[in-house]
Amino acid sequence: MEKACIDINELINVFSNNEGAVYQSDKLNCFYVDFGGKFARYNCLSLQKLKKVVEEIDIEALLLNTQRADFELVTFNGCEHIYLLSALEIISLKDLLQGTFTMFKLNHMVNDCLFRLVY
Amino acid sequence: MKDLMRIKCLISQDIETLLNQQIKKEAHSSSLYLSMASWCNQNGYDFSADYFTKQSEEERAHQLKLFKYVLDMGGNAISPEVTGIKSDFAGFREVFEDALEAEIAITQSFKNLASRCLKEQDFVTMEFLNWFLKEQREEEYKARRALELFEVIGEEGTGRWEIDKHVNDISYSED
Ligand SMILES: [Fe+2]
Ligand SMILES: [Fe+2]
Repeated sequence: MEKACIDINELINVFSNNEGAVYQSDKLNCFYVDFGGKFARYNCLSLQKLKKVVEEIDIEALLLNTQRADFELVTFNGCEHIYLLSALEIISLKDLLQGTFTMFKLNHMVNDCLFRLVY
Repeated sequence: MKDLMRIKCLISQDIETLLNQQIKKEAHSSSLYLSMASWCNQNGYDFSADYFTKQSEEERAHQLKLFKYVLDMGGNAISPEVTGIKSDFAGFREVFEDALEAEIAITQSFKNLASRCLKEQDFVTMEFLNWFLKEQREEEYKARRALELFEVIGEEGTGRWEIDKHVNDISYSED
């Protein structure tokens, strides 16, 4: 199903790590996050929200707290997906999203240089 | 690959974060001035209470101006949580000392924002910030002049009463 989606929408791999990948569709102006067994669609705003939610999780507190399991639910209002992630998975997702947004910055610079600056 | 984030929003994430921090600082200033107005009122300094109430409204206007800019540029403006507002002052003079200190901190904050804009070559936000940089001239000037009344008039006798009466006369003009 993932493969089919990638082919049909001509997805571009923005960033990947060992646990997952983020793709962009120039056709549909959206993103797909392939992580934790889900292939989920996001728009600009919701992807930013996801990053914010993941970054706000206090992983240290999660690991040090012996009263509860080392799992965390990751979702937000308006998000169609819920992730149940272990501390290690949260670290991976954080890394994935940070890498993604760094690639966005890089892509922005490339776009500026190639198409936008008029000399 | 399309630059989707840029298509959505003119300002970078870093600038957006700094602007949201500034929104929070202006909200904090507004609350602080209101707190000063309350203290002045309760201690019989009615003119100063009016002065600080007006300042509080100005800070609220600054907050909204920044808020609108972030939204107009396609960003996410965050309504700030304001906590830890000082409400007890050691004396009349301390209120004005704190007011100047708060304005100096705000000026510094805008300088940081401006330097970030120049680093990113975000001249659009830089141009927007010019209004605030200019405003800080007036804000610091007024706070400094008010504090100077304590030196010029002195606090002895009817000094504080006199100072209170003249606080609203302070005005700034560029020429
Ligand atoms: Fe202000
Ligand atoms: Fe101010």
